[in-house]
Amino acid sequence: MSVLRLCTRSCSNHIFSSTYLPLLQAQSVALANCIHTTAIRSTFWEKEKKSGYNTKITLPSRKELIVEGLRELKEEIKLWKEEMKEKLESDPILVYRPGEVDVVFNFKEDNALDRWVVTTDADHREGKSIAKLELSAAGAGLFHGSVNSEHVKDGVIKRTGYANIRTKRVRRSFKRESAFDWTQYNTLVMKIRGDGRNYLINLHTEGYFDLQWNDVYHFVLFTRGGPHWQMVKIPFSKFSCPQRVVYKIDRARFVWIVLHTLGFQLERKSIWTVPFG
Amino acid sequence: MHRQFVKVCRIHSAVNISNLVSVLRCSKSSQKYYCTKFENDTQGPNRTTRNADDNRKHSNNRKPPLPAIQNPFANVTNKTKDSYLAMLEIFEERDVHRRNHVEFIYAALRNMADFGVEYDLEVYKALINVMPKGKFIPTNVFQAEFMHYPKQQQCIIDLLEQMEDLGVIPDYEMEAMLLNIFGRRGHPLRKYWRMMYWMPKFKNLSPWPLPNPLPDDTLDIAKMAIDRMCTVDLRSKVSVFETKNVKDAIDDTWIVNGMSAEQSKLLSDHPCDKAVYIEGPFLIWLRNRSINYFTLRADPDQSFLHTQKEDQDDVSQINAPFFGTAVPRPKREVDKLRSVHQQEDGTIFAICATGTSTKDSLLSWIRLLEFNGNPKLGEIPVLFRFSSTVAAKAIEIESQTKPDTLQSHPRSNNKE
Repeated sequence: MSVLRLCTRSCSNHIFSSTYLPLLQAQSVALANCIHTTAIRSTFWEKEKKSGYNTKITLPSRKELIVEGLRELKEEIKLWKEEMKEKLESDPILVYRPGEVDVVFNFKEDNALDRWVVTTDADHREGKSIAKLELSAAGAGLFHGSVNSEHVKDGVIKRTGYANIRTKRVRRSFKRESAFDWTQYNTLVMKIRGDGRNYLINLHTEGYFDLQWNDVYHFVLFTRGGPHWQMVKIPFSKFSCPQRVVYKIDRARFVWIVLHTLGFQLERKSIWTVPFG
Repeated sequence: MHRQFVKVCRIHSAVNISNLVSVLRCSKSSQKYYCTKFENDTQGPNRTTRNADDNRKHSNNRKPPLPAIQNPFANVTNKTKDSYLAMLEIFEERDVHRRNHVEFIYAALRNMADFGVEYDLEVYKALINVMPKGKFIPTNVFQAEFMHYPKQQQCIIDLLEQMEDLGVIPDYEMEAMLLNIFGRRGHPLRKYWRMMYWMPKFKNLSPWPLPNPLPDDTLDIAKMAIDRMCTVDLRSKVSVFETKNVKDAIDDTWIVNGMSAEQSKLLSDHPCDKAVYIEGPFLIWLRNRSINYFTLRADPDQSFLHTQKEDQDDVSQINAPFFGTAVPRPKREVDKLRSVHQQEDGTIFAICATGTSTKDSLLSWIRLLEFNGNPKLGEIPVLFRFSSTVAAKAIEIESQTKPDTLQSHPRSNNKE
């Protein structure tokens, strides 16, 4: 799948809210091979945000860490300066013009690929999929590879085979974590070119409590295939979060307060090796 | 009443204790058959060794039978839906108690694909029907809360999950069956209701719907693929050519071509000194079937695409000179509209899929396009731009046709 740019769109229906709505969502099911069916329902305390998938990186010594930190201090102060300047100078935009598209991700920018991370099931030795995100000759982002659903028989994993790209976590100066503030927008607009298969768009909205750490909102991205580019507009209200298992089946409006990462995923269950791109 | 009840309870407990004692006695008497550890504790060391020796001899003479792990579905010769349903019937009639029905259902689920029934709702219903009705319905709050008969419930949940993965939507009869088996508070019911809420929502969501199941014929799939790609332009026409009609064509296959009147116009306007390219193969997927397609493309017309269209509403850059009057803006209000096919990375003239995906069939495609309303193609130079996979495939196909290469095949060498 090739993703040229990813933008958000504002409209007259603004959502003003500063609280995180309790979401009433039922476990969701999609077209075959799209949305994962059984969500892990855990009401117990979770120790870490990665739920056991933390890659163990041996940290350098404390002295090296301090030196490294001081080296990065310059850049961070520069960032902080800009933030302060922006805070003092600019007034917040209160009225967004309806129907206007603001570009957030553009692969034609410099270092556009640095904002994305590619993950597959092979990263944790749970599968054999390969995926890459590169720039094509025409300057678009090209997500390609091969999804392999050959089962790893370790007695724990039920099924394998996925490839995923996601944006890096937005941050402020001094490595403070932040989120996209898309409260004023209500549609996701993308210019893409696919291979005719269905992809999954994941919007990760991490909450404060451990129960909300893994909240991910999904929707299916249908691609036409063929040489022509395709404009996709998906309202945020279409997204649903199957992880929130509440037995009361009701659809609640999804409110944009914290959107940390955005990702595209391809999942495969039935066929063994499937090239895509 | 209460006293009586207590009495009865006591009697019952007494009976139970006496039963237990008798069981213990029995076990003491049958120690040597069941409990070797007990033996070791009571008997002397010499005796135990002799006993162990005896046991070894015994085991040499007569091996104890292994627990029966048989897959009844693997031994079937004629694997059809009828034989599958017949096996379920045999299982149901074999025994009143239907022992091991959970294991049987799991085995049946694993073997569904071999029988070709994994998309069949009727078969799933027959599998659920194996479960006894009314036995697993909880009768009080605690049973309902703590998953009454967990193995059986989990088994049916797994069955429903398989249906969900394969996109088989259940119906209301299945709900009635599950209600009869697990009751209103059963977990399979919750799963069923959730499935019936979400699955129909996603069923017809795709803007390019496909028939279910897909046809097996490659030509039909190619037609559907080209048709889908051509939805970008409503005036597109999908036509099927035969390479037989072309003179000097080597391959005898079909070509599915997608082209619109607008693309024809663009091709006739294309300058003769600029080449057009046949590019490919690219992949398009229709559910789980893939088709290779090729495009006829030219480099983008940069002079047309990048002419500055003045935005009359843009007030950010008004040209207001300090001296003299402002230069009148060039107005290009009447201009050629940009076509959908004039993409930023190239102008697309046609799309095709051929039966063999070889160079020869693509050459025939260009000839056929030339004869069918695009005479300009005879004047424009056409170049091939293949990615490596097709070239390799073409060599493979060509090598198979030559008798010399067939002999050098390793298998044939072995035979000699």
